[in-house]
Amino acid sequence: MLAASTTAQQSAINYSEFDLDNGLHVILHEDHGTPIVCVSVMYHVGSKNEDPTRRGFAHFFEHLLFEGSEHIDRGEFSKHVEKAGGVLNANTTADRTYYYEVLPSNQLELGLWLESERMLHAKVDQKGVDTQREVVKEERRQRYENQPYGTILLEALDHAYTTHPYKWPTIGFMEDLNAATEADYQAFYKRFYVPNNAVLVIAGDIDPVKAREQVTRYFAGIPRGAAVAQPQVVDPGPTAETRAVIHDRIQLPAVVLSYRIPPTGSADFYAVELVNRLLSGGNSSRLNRALKDQQQKAIATGAFSLPFEQGGLAILYAIANMGVDAQALETAMDNEVRRIQSEGVPKAEFDKLLAQLEMEHVNDRSRIAGIASDLARCHMLLGDTKLVNTEMDRYLALSPADLKRAAQQYFKPDARVVLHYLPASQKQP
Amino acid sequence: MRIPAAPLALLAGLLTQSVAMNAQIDRSRPPAPGPAPAVNVGAHELFTLGNGLRVIVVENHKLPKVEVQVRFDHAPLAQGSSIGYIDLFGEVLEAGTATRDKAAIDEQVDRLGAYLTANSEGLSASVLKKHLGPMMDLIGELITAPAFPEAELAKARQRALSQVEQRKDDPDAIADAVGRAMTFGGGHPYGEVVTEATLRQVNREQLVTYHAKFFRPEAGYLVLVGDITAKEAKDLARDHFGKWKPAPRYVVVEEDGSETLPGLGPVRFLKQAKTPSGPRRVVLVDRPGAAQSIIRVGFPLNLQPKDIRNMAAQVMNTILGGGVFNARLMQNLREDKGWTYGTYSSLEADRFNGHFHTTAKVRTAVTDSAIAETIKELERMRQGRVSADELELAKRYMAGSFARSLEDPRTVARFALNTHLNELPPDHYATYLKRLEAVTAEDVQAAAEAFLHPDNAVIMVVGDKRKLLSKLEALSWSENPKVLEVDHNAERAMEQFERVQGITEKDVIEKYLAAIGGREAIGRIKDLRMDIAAQAMGNELQITQWYGLDGLFRSQYKSNGVTVQEESYDGERAMRSGPQGKRELEDMELGEMQFNGHAIPELHYARTAERVMLAGRTRIDGRSMLKVVAQIASGGSVGDYYDEITGLKVRRVEYRQVDDQNYTITTDYADYQPTGGVQFPRTITQYGGPMGEVTMQVTSITVNQNLQPAFFATNLPERVVEPYVEPKEENPLEESPKEE
Repeated sequence: MLAASTTAQQSAINYSEFDLDNGLHVILHEDHGTPIVCVSVMYHVGSKNEDPTRRGFAHFFEHLLFEGSEHIDRGEFSKHVEKAGGVLNANTTADRTYYYEVLPSNQLELGLWLESERMLHAKVDQKGVDTQREVVKEERRQRYENQPYGTILLEALDHAYTTHPYKWPTIGFMEDLNAATEADYQAFYKRFYVPNNAVLVIAGDIDPVKAREQVTRYFAGIPRGAAVAQPQVVDPGPTAETRAVIHDRIQLPAVVLSYRIPPTGSADFYAVELVNRLLSGGNSSRLNRALKDQQQKAIATGAFSLPFEQGGLAILYAIANMGVDAQALETAMDNEVRRIQSEGVPKAEFDKLLAQLEMEHVNDRSRIAGIASDLARCHMLLGDTKLVNTEMDRYLALSPADLKRAAQQYFKPDARVVLHYLPASQKQP
Repeated sequence: MRIPAAPLALLAGLLTQSVAMNAQIDRSRPPAPGPAPAVNVGAHELFTLGNGLRVIVVENHKLPKVEVQVRFDHAPLAQGSSIGYIDLFGEVLEAGTATRDKAAIDEQVDRLGAYLTANSEGLSASVLKKHLGPMMDLIGELITAPAFPEAELAKARQRALSQVEQRKDDPDAIADAVGRAMTFGGGHPYGEVVTEATLRQVNREQLVTYHAKFFRPEAGYLVLVGDITAKEAKDLARDHFGKWKPAPRYVVVEEDGSETLPGLGPVRFLKQAKTPSGPRRVVLVDRPGAAQSIIRVGFPLNLQPKDIRNMAAQVMNTILGGGVFNARLMQNLREDKGWTYGTYSSLEADRFNGHFHTTAKVRTAVTDSAIAETIKELERMRQGRVSADELELAKRYMAGSFARSLEDPRTVARFALNTHLNELPPDHYATYLKRLEAVTAEDVQAAAEAFLHPDNAVIMVVGDKRKLLSKLEALSWSENPKVLEVDHNAERAMEQFERVQGITEKDVIEKYLAAIGGREAIGRIKDLRMDIAAQAMGNELQITQWYGLDGLFRSQYKSNGVTVQEESYDGERAMRSGPQGKRELEDMELGEMQFNGHAIPELHYARTAERVMLAGRTRIDGRSMLKVVAQIASGGSVGDYYDEITGLKVRRVEYRQVDDQNYTITTDYADYQPTGGVQFPRTITQYGGPMGEVTMQVTSITVNQNLQPAFFATNLPERVVEPYVEPKEENPLEESPKEE
């Protein structure tokens, strides 16, 4: 335990942070290892902020915000970045939308100009709207519809929530995007794309004093918007086991178990993370050893969390080896969960999880772009930038008994969603 | 609801004050960059152990971890009938040593918080500095003393068999496997596809022999990167590999230079790079009802990393589709057309055999258009100079990527390893940016001419055959077949049949006749008129068919009220009239009409079919089918699929000649409803014929209108019997036959 803590301190990330008068939070991280800089903006808007008749809007909007601005014509946004030798991208989750550029460090100002243009006066024409809607449809087909087991997350979320907007997937639904009007775009931009709902992170080969001055020049003039309220929806989750059979274009059955878990950043969230790791972190983990090696029931297993700020899911899955049916697979998975709940976790195995975390912590520091997004996450979703260096302590505060308790409290057989993915050919006509 | 077509300023009217507030900066143009930072390619050390193992060390103490790689070098070899032993090799290598079983190895790796993965070329690992000692103990054992436990091979094989099974429904895995197979061909090490049959041939002896032959210090590199000094690396290398001297292996070298290894048989190394050849052709893997098509346009290349043209080739590929958003393919297919989420091209220089391919996932309806645009972009690259703007962007982007890649200390080690493996000049990476800067638009075009071969491309599509087949045929320059259909294993798609016992073709047909109403009810239908609303090639067609006694038949096709085609058969002769005029149908075409011109063709097989036989049991969309094949007396054949449970006919596949062209036409029948006590399908879909996909809705059926033979008259001129004339002998000097 001490070892992990020491490693965390050794690889501590230096940063400074401040707020502009318009409410924009700014975090600077200086590292001269490579002559590059990452400029990123995270907006506190995701699919959970959507109008239930405009599902997928936050992600669609992310596509539209590459279309240009008052001073950047359609198609020019990416050109500026690539011509400077940089890369750019963005992604959207249920909770936030994240944009970033990684540039040679002498192009920091270009990044600031681009992101401030996006925040100040983004613009999109009809060709852009029409094209991006088609692009998003193809993205949906590629990621979910034309992918074996591609609908697992969609199905798990849909069954695990009843009233919370986490029920619908970030990719959304095409009929909702087709129904969007100009007024929708304006309202969404005005409401969420405001400096007081964003964090700007600059990481890499920078002079923090100069960077602060440049940030102020580009961003201070952007008007503050109305305060953004996050949805307050009470959705306690399933009170009984919910089961569904999904016939997919697959050859091997799969079983997916989903459990509602506490919000990301809460003490128990970290306990759930360790239970997931106990189940599937590394070849010696419980699901891998039992289901793949010993019983040979599965060819792949996994356990991971959707770390939502209002409480996400822990998802356990296994894909069957040939000739193994879904029920046998489910029983084998259940046995491993039950074993944690009844027998707890030996100290040596617990220490193994901490050793893996220690390594992961070091790896997370290997790239400037990763550090930038971690800083933004800690500030915006965990509420404290400091956690970028102290989050490890949350794990170190746990004991083997906490894992047993978390497994009992959150991996409840009578409050979960069980999905059986079966080959479409097994469907009864 | 549609969005208004006017440009839409999000926040119009709210921004007037911002300009005044930002008076000190000019927002109208991008800010000028500062002075360019220096890019330093880091240093490495290299030394060789007494047994020949080369050790590469890159020191970087930023993070307290060390990356370890062990790499063995040999020419790629074909696996013959045991394809898969090289794929399984790594998995079994890390599953046991002389002193540890798999559980102990897994436990050790996880307890150290480390990562470890092995493959046929060696292994790579990542571990915290403080755990490097025990990790190197394990790595040394795995490389020098693996046990290849039989039981672990069995498990790995079983998982691999499951994965092959899974590939049937994984379009990306299909595209990868079939794409490689079609680019490089069978027998080529890069083109081999693992199948159930080849996996069953894999045995432990092959793994042991492969290890003994190729995992040897004189062919190996140990690479250590990170929080380690050269001195520490030297000590570790000596401790774990210094005494490693495997016994020499008995190798039989054949006259042709090939080698035979005990336990492995003949080893066929790749001797010569495959280059683009053959006409542009189309390969299709059917995925009925697919939401998207995966497109891959590619060909092999003889392009080595040390080829000085490689730099210009990579600039060219960047402009075409290699990674930048502003690449031509991405801008055309995504940003202009909205056909895809992303499309890319890849031009791989490889010491043994390079290759090029593009990829795109597009909706089915635009598959052929997306291929045509892709080919067009390849041609445009060859035919003209890229703009100064494009060249500048590609060069800046590549320079930026080069700098960014150095963020990872493993890059420095990779450069060192590449320099050795690919026989690059020692300053290859030190001069990278300078050489990049020197590339001109002329160089780029020359590279396109040398390395882009759209005329020889293999166009591979994983998608919905029924919607694609006829459109894809138009893109192929190959004949016979125009479109090569293969399965997920890259094997020619062949229908698989299960033998059925105790049932004959007669039983299947009788069950069908009973299912649609029985012989008695069918016998009461003397004649029949069927009206059909059809859609083909974006047009609406109204089709009317009349079936009379004894196979008399007539049909009429109308489009917008205008008759576009008529056919009739008067019991002896048949005709077809259309925009090209009227002509008599003879031979196969006549035979087809005699065969098909019945409301229920099965009733007339005794007269119209030469042979009827039960092919066996197969599946369509997961449902059990019995297939009956009927050979038509005049040539050609049809295969009918009857649902084993309902007895109804659900599909017909026929080989038919239409206007001198050969087609394989598939017709699906659904939604059976009764008329006059007999069930007829109301929804009929057809593809593979001259009109592509045709969907037909039967709008009405009328029976027993007392249609007279005159109604079916062909009105063809009387036949004139021409006297037989002896052909003249041709003078071969006057006209030599043209070579096709």
